Amino acid sequence: MLGLDRPTSGTATVGGRPYATYDEPLRHVGALLDAQAAHGSRTARNHLLALAASNRVTAARVDEVLEQTGLTAVAGRRVKTYSLGMRQRLGIAAALLGDPAVVLLDEPSNGLDPEGIVWIRELMTGLAREGRTVLVSSHLMNETATFADHLVVLGRGRLLADTPMREFIAGHSRPRARARTTDPARLRAVLARAGHGMTEADDGRWTVDGVRAEEIGRLAAREGVPILELADEEASLEEAYLALTADDTEFSASSAALQEA
Amino acid sequence: MSTPTSTPSASASASVSVSAPVSNSASVTAVLRSEWIKVKSLRGSVGSLAAVFVATVAVTVLVFATVGRAEADNADAEPLFGAFYALNFGQVAAISFGTTAVSSEYVNGALRVSLAAVPRRGLFYGAKTAVLGAAALLVGLLTSFTTFLGGQAFLGEHAIGLGHPGAVRACVGGGFYLALMALLAAGLAAVLRSGVAVLSVLIPFTLIVPFVIGDMAGGVAQFLPDRAGQQILHEDPSGMLGPWAGLGVMAVWAGAALAAGWWAVRRRDA
Repeated sequence: MLGLDRPTSGTATVGGRPYATYDEPLRHVGALLDAQAAHGSRTARNHLLALAASNRVTAARVDEVLEQTGLTAVAGRRVKTYSLGMRQRLGIAAALLGDPAVVLLDEPSNGLDPEGIVWIRELMTGLAREGRTVLVSSHLMNETATFADHLVVLGRGRLLADTPMREFIAGHSRPRARARTTDPARLRAVLARAGHGMTEADDGRWTVDGVRAEEIGRLAAREGVPILELADEEASLEEAYLALTADDTEFSASSAALQEA
Repeated sequence: MSTPTSTPSASASASVSVSAPVSNSASVTAVLRSEWIKVKSLRGSVGSLAAVFVATVAVTVLVFATVGRAEADNADAEPLFGAFYALNFGQVAAISFGTTAVSSEYVNGALRVSLAAVPRRGLFYGAKTAVLGAAALLVGLLTSFTTFLGGQAFLGEHAIGLGHPGAVRACVGGGFYLALMALLAAGLAAVLRSGVAVLSVLIPFTLIVPFVIGDMAGGVAQFLPDRAGQQILHEDPSGMLGPWAGLGVMAVWAGAALAAGWWAVRRRDA
């Protein structure tokens, strides 16, 4: 997408233009490519200064992104002394240098500690709230589900899905509801008449596959079955993703999901 | 990128401060500055650049302070060419400088980050080459003049000055010789993408080959980059190439290496 690799076919544009036509691309698009991609013998500050200079970004902005990514204290240290998490933060600092409207992050939570993962999640949603486009590529479904709004699923070079997150989960999972009742036998009978099965979950609740809570509520009310608790069970992104890819038995584990927060 | 992505980005760019469209000259200056920061922020490249001067001058002082007069007394001594003896050592540092400065882009995929910042590869490669060449030429000229004048200071009655025939030409040429060595190495580094590979090609080539071939004049040997380039250091060069023609042949070598490097940078995936 950034013109680093020669495509076998096709084109990629950002904001309607090929990336390579931007004079100062860091001011439009910030990218985290690979956390290791900095020369180990340079200090973090010098690494950012060299990048900043090429796009006429000021040194003051370099200090700003160092602050934002929590690297100020170690900015004078050479990158090879950094942990994976610190390099990841440096890569993110580089992506933010030009204050870009589009931010591309490849596996941003890679190598971060739990604190760092929360930090990057808040950073990403914060950037999106400011009106920026944040494109994240990740293999971590559950992590992704916590911040993404829009989902693009790619597999074997093909586009498998390009929908809002909610629709994706709803579209690729069967509805399922969870209920608690004082009279399971009657509820089971009522549901059986409507063609639904009911299984007992570990915690004394019952789960009903293939039906939404409102349908169960309607049936139970009509028959006068007491219901203590009734809720739709949300499928996880991972389950929806597996359901999508299960259609393609040849599908390999090397697929990637891209989400836009 | 898909349609839903471009819509928010368009609206976002209004709220983000984006500078006015820049002219090409502005971005050239910016990229030159960036490349200069890269050179000076890397211990290896600063060190080898300093070593060009330090090694050459140190060897000159060492040699001229000890055997300088005895050598100068020799009947077939060539005082001008002899004055630049230490350039043989300085050129190793010049080669290291050109190599490190380029090969550092191939460490840990640093090139991907560099090209993301400067996607116009011609601008990127041109600026890098220009900065390397200019830095090497500046240090080369300083080294060349210092070596010449410094060495002669030990020779007493045998000393020659800048007024000696060809002396200024040799001093200036020596600076260009070092710069061209650095550029030759830089071009090769872009092709081979590895500092170790470049050094293992160029160091034997410049240090061992001339000794093996010795003073064998004529033939292809005089067209090798170092042999041809050193013609400029002779008061009255023998062989087919004159002083400037020799330096020109060396420039062709360096140019060919840089062109090959450009081909590699332009064509290959980063």
